[in-house]
Amino acid sequence: MRPPSSLRQEFLKKWMMGLQRYSTSKKNMSILERKKAIKLSADVAIASARNGTTCWSRALIANGYSKDGGDDKHLVEQILGPESERLIMKKVLTGGASVCNKRMRSKKILKRSCGIQRTRKFAPQVALASSIAKRLVRKRTQILRSLIPGGEFMNDVTLIEETLDYIISLRAQVDVMRSLASASELASEP
Amino acid sequence: MNNAFPEILQCSDMTVLERQKAPLQRQQEQLQQQEKQQQSYFSELRGVFSNQTSHVQGLQGGLLSGDSLLCDMVMTPQAKPDPGLETARSELGNIDIAGMGFGQCGYVNGPSFDMNYAIYRTSSCPPAVVAAAVATEGVEAKGKESVESEKLGSAIGRESFKKRKADKLHCSKVVAEDDSKRIKACAEERESKITGPNTNKSSSSNNNNKKQTSTETSKENSKFSKVQKPDYIHVRARRGQATDRHSLAERVRREKISERMKYLQDLVPGCNKITGKAGMLDEITSYVQSLQQQVELLSMKLAAVNPKLDFNIDNLFAKQLFASCTTTFPTVGMLSEMANPPYLQFNPVQQVVSCREVEMGMGMGMEINSPDMALQRTINAPLSIPDASFLDSSCLAQFQSSAAWDVELQNLYNVGFDQEGSTTPFPSQPFTGTKS
Repeated sequence: MRPPSSLRQEFLKKWMMGLQRYSTSKKNMSILERKKAIKLSADVAIASARNGTTCWSRALIANGYSKDGGDDKHLVEQILGPESERLIMKKVLTGGASVCNKRMRSKKILKRSCGIQRTRKFAPQVALASSIAKRLVRKRTQILRSLIPGGEFMNDVTLIEETLDYIISLRAQVDVMRSLASASELASEP
Repeated sequence: MNNAFPEILQCSDMTVLERQKAPLQRQQEQLQQQEKQQQSYFSELRGVFSNQTSHVQGLQGGLLSGDSLLCDMVMTPQAKPDPGLETARSELGNIDIAGMGFGQCGYVNGPSFDMNYAIYRTSSCPPAVVAAAVATEGVEAKGKESVESEKLGSAIGRESFKKRKADKLHCSKVVAEDDSKRIKACAEERESKITGPNTNKSSSSNNNNKKQTSTETSKENSKFSKVQKPDYIHVRARRGQATDRHSLAERVRREKISERMKYLQDLVPGCNKITGKAGMLDEITSYVQSLQQQVELLSMKLAAVNPKLDFNIDNLFAKQLFASCTTTFPTVGMLSEMANPPYLQFNPVQQVVSCREVEMGMGMGMEINSPDMALQRTINAPLSIPDASFLDSSCLAQFQSSAAWDVELQNLYNVGFDQEGSTTPFPSQPFTGTKS
């Protein structure tokens, strides 16, 4: 499914806004610095397209905000716009990580205490197959959690929803970046 | 609906028309049953529903595709003397189905997402009605089937990620799930993909098998139904299965997960053949990883191409536009030449901007006052504009406000995205000589 062109346009707008900050700065950046700047502004731009409604977008914005250097804070402010920035940062800083972390930790403790009793008394083969399947699924969910920004704080259902949204946004991001790269290449041809 | 499955499975060589008529009758019966069930909370939803008549208009318009004949078909299943449904029916009846300005691509455009989602969200009756209407329409025009089921599928796929934008009711997700499930079931029935709902139920019953803590046998249930209320979720236990709270809650959670995995299946390419959570999760993680790597590579590429991080969008995309659209806008070349001489000594971006504005005005055929003003501005005060970045931002800001930006972006997206990877050689243009 193609990401809607409105999403791509919004991403492009915000990304260019963010990049303008770097173009006006006087210092010459190395290629790695440039790449980091590009990626950071792209991430914050695509996250701001969701306006703080999804967990992964808040996590991305938090990443952009907490990096060292006052530059990045201003970048986030610029991209988000002053009024939405206040709202989103409120959500990010107060709502998010600490509460979710505690919740996850307490859930894990509860599971560990109750889960010991929960094994079924069935024939060994059946129990083995199902537990293998469960273990596989759990492992892969863990991997997926590590990929999605802010994934450690979500339960299973939310994780899949966030993955859906994240995939669409990533696709939009890749589309726009690819077209910009090809256009730049064509433009830089002698 | 559930009784129809074994019959339909057996009559595989029925013609499409007969196949569609059979479930239609059952759907009508079922519709009446559903209406009885929903009558109780219809009164609650009525207030919200009245706000959404325009949305229902749009939905019905989009789906019924301008056929006034269907208006009658829609109304007949509702011919029941239920007082609770009176107001709802009258609201539906007042819809001007004949005058459908809503385009077919209402599902595709951004603003109608909320509209469609609002319908799924607020009331479960219209989707059922719509399903019946859709089924009846399928009898008439099979050619539109695939389009509409695609639309439904895409609408369902999109409602999952657009749902946060219109999250008013408490039971929004549950209602939407149930509606989308029902619609999916009906749509799949219509297209004789019967295996879909069957595998859904069988897979969830298999999941139940794995996790049962008490000793019971699970059977395919014939009266599986989910009834929602704003406060809490009614889940009817299936026949021969555990009824304690934990397993019910687990089952609800599992079904939510499997529903969303289905959406993911549509989204991730190559996931259609894979069944089972573990395999799909594997595909999903590899896909997300590949997308993230692509982003890294592209940002590295962009950093390498641009030594100064000055992306003159106008410059870049104007070139692309000119490269591909020179045939369609033959007069632009003349105009660009006209505009060229006064700007030869100035920043090329200004020229590009102004000529692009002119081109937009010419090619798009739109009356845009702002480009003319900008053109005059660039003519009148060329020396006072210090650097390109300011012009970029100002023009960007101006273009953002005008509709031309969207149209042009659409244009260039069609150009750029469709021509990915193809290197179109530049014809000789007036700008190549002036690019610094």
